[in-house]
Amino acid sequence: MYTILFLLYALAGGAYAWHFATRRASAGRTATTLLAAAALAHTFAIGMQTMAAGHVPIAGTTAAISTFVWLLALAYLYMEMTTEERALGVFIVPLLVALQVIPALNPVAERRIPVLESPWFGVHVASLLFAYASFALACVIGITYVLLFKEIKAKTLGFFYARLPSLDSLDAMNRRTVAVGWAFLTVGVMVGAIWAAQVRGGPVSDPRLQAMSLADPKMLGAFLIWGLYTFELYSRRLGWGGKRTAYLSAVGFLLILFNFVPIGYFLTRSHNFQ
Amino acid sequence: MHLFLLGVSHRTAPVEVRERLDFATRGLDHALGALAARAAAAESVVVSTCNRAELYVACGNVRATREDLLAFLSDYHGLDRGSIEPHVYEMADGDAARHLFRVAAGLDSLVVGEPQILGQVKQAFATASTSRTLGPVMNRVFPWSFTVGKRVRTETALAEGAVSVSFAATALAHKIFGELKGRTVLVVGAGEMGKLTAQHLKAQGVDRVLIVSRTLAHATSLAAAIGGTPLPWQDLDGAIGEADIVISATGATLPVLTRPRIEGVMRGRRNRPIFIIDIALPRDVDPAVGDLEAVFLYNIDDLEGIVRENLSRRASEVERAEAIVGDEVRKFETWLTARHAIPTVVALRQRFDAIRRAELERLMPRLNGLPPEVRGRVDEITRLIVEKLLITPTEQLKSTPDPERVRTYADALTRVFALDAEDAPRPAGREEAAPFDSADSSEQRRTAGRDADSGKPVNP
Repeated sequence: MYTILFLLYALAGGAYAWHFATRRASAGRTATTLLAAAALAHTFAIGMQTMAAGHVPIAGTTAAISTFVWLLALAYLYMEMTTEERALGVFIVPLLVALQVIPALNPVAERRIPVLESPWFGVHVASLLFAYASFALACVIGITYVLLFKEIKAKTLGFFYARLPSLDSLDAMNRRTVAVGWAFLTVGVMVGAIWAAQVRGGPVSDPRLQAMSLADPKMLGAFLIWGLYTFELYSRRLGWGGKRTAYLSAVGFLLILFNFVPIGYFLTRSHNFQ
Repeated sequence: MHLFLLGVSHRTAPVEVRERLDFATRGLDHALGALAARAAAAESVVVSTCNRAELYVACGNVRATREDLLAFLSDYHGLDRGSIEPHVYEMADGDAARHLFRVAAGLDSLVVGEPQILGQVKQAFATASTSRTLGPVMNRVFPWSFTVGKRVRTETALAEGAVSVSFAATALAHKIFGELKGRTVLVVGAGEMGKLTAQHLKAQGVDRVLIVSRTLAHATSLAAAIGGTPLPWQDLDGAIGEADIVISATGATLPVLTRPRIEGVMRGRRNRPIFIIDIALPRDVDPAVGDLEAVFLYNIDDLEGIVRENLSRRASEVERAEAIVGDEVRKFETWLTARHAIPTVVALRQRFDAIRRAELERLMPRLNGLPPEVRGRVDEITRLIVEKLLITPTEQLKSTPDPERVRTYADALTRVFALDAEDAPRPAGREEAAPFDSADSSEQRRTAGRDADSGKPVNP
């Protein structure tokens, strides 16, 4: 099932590339339709897993990645609908395809883990995944901002100049996505901290709970990420904006990916619910 | 019926000739009226812009029409025919359609792909419509040309990219700032170039224009002319601090906007992007200013470079645009060829109907004893038989794409049924044919109507 989703996303990615290269309206419609189909199939898959496991499949890193891909696809489709701007799809959809490789190669069924039987768990993971999806958008917007900025600055108006929206609107989109992501990140981290403190004193004992501290790489990473985006929001008040915040968004999301995938699989002792 | 075109354009005539052949000054409707009075052309449209004056007509005889249109040109403009003829080009049928399609697509324009021409062609068609000089051919070929123009614009990059310096500057401003509404433009220097570019930006939605000049009086008069705010020279730094777009066009020999100066201003702007357009010669802005982080600096050479690049990109799209035109011309030719069959079709129908009515009249004495509704029925049945007999030959004739074959078929039909013979059986006097009179005349009208709009479904 994950493989089918992967193929659907890959097809959509191809269509977005085709649209970006040829700028044909029909290619753009095809791309959007394919991506919407992939997201719809993904919704169905997640719905099935939710029914089987009794909660949304977000406990293990693999399931969380797949859910993250789904959220990002939805967030991107929403952005495309509201801004009527398809040019960014060629940057976002490949990311979806790349991440979807992991669940496609390594499908795992969602398991029930006693310590996670809490509504707080859902809030914690869902807000963080939302935050990550927003930051992914912000990262892509930031990268395109830098690409366009460099083209205009170097006076070599070409590929991106003809295809991307204006610097001003890219900057505004970046600001909005970072603000939304930051809000979800804050909620997710706070809920996680409170909930961890609560269950630690509770009846369920789990070695992973004892590892919940800033000394754990995953949690340290999360706080670093929170610090970075807080600074990015604040830096706009210092008159940063534009290229510098664009770079920050890109670095921030790289940090998230690193925290999500390699740290989530290999390094963390507190968040390994595979 | 033929489509025929006769005209002059920037490709064949110098401006002195074109301006003397201009139809716009006295009004297109006036010209159309004068042309219609000569009766050379059954249908006509006059296209007149500063780059061309063209007469599009639908006519039966190309050679006679050509002479008449030349005479019209010289009469209407009071010119010697010999002075016009060397500059005139003429085309018929598919070639004329190709020319019109190329004009509408902007392929025949001085600046390839320029957008105004399509509007001008539409205007010419609208004027001919109100002057009632249109007919089946013009009503087909002109709307067709609008479609071709639109196809070329959407399917190729022929009309993309700014091809003048001020358009290039505006396009850049849009790419940096998005909407220009609410932005501030600063014009440094009160010269003509700065004025033009500022006006252009103002037309794009910029609402605030600041003008700084060494002589405050110059700034004040320019500000009054374009609706801006004049500021004294010592306020220059503050004005740069406020502006999003700076147009510098002073007559100074040394750079006015030096790097230290802009650096100082940028600190106060907190890196808000600024777009500086240096259109002065010698340059007003130190090139090192362009190295500052949030500064986009373009001088006149950069803008002209963009224009050149866009022009060459347009040129590379010409081939694809021509392919679209060629494609549409072929479809148009099929339609026009089908129209050549119309006189034969009409004659054939008239012949069959005449035979039918002659026979009915012959039988009149015997039919007279019947009740009126039965007589009506007999009339109806005979008419239907004739219709059925004619359907297939009519369709065959109209759907043949090859004009030669259409002519062969038409010739054959004309001979086989002696359609051009004078002694063909004619219906007898109308008063005798009273019972069928109404049917007869309405049938003729119906046939004529169908033939007039018998265009094959080659809908553009």
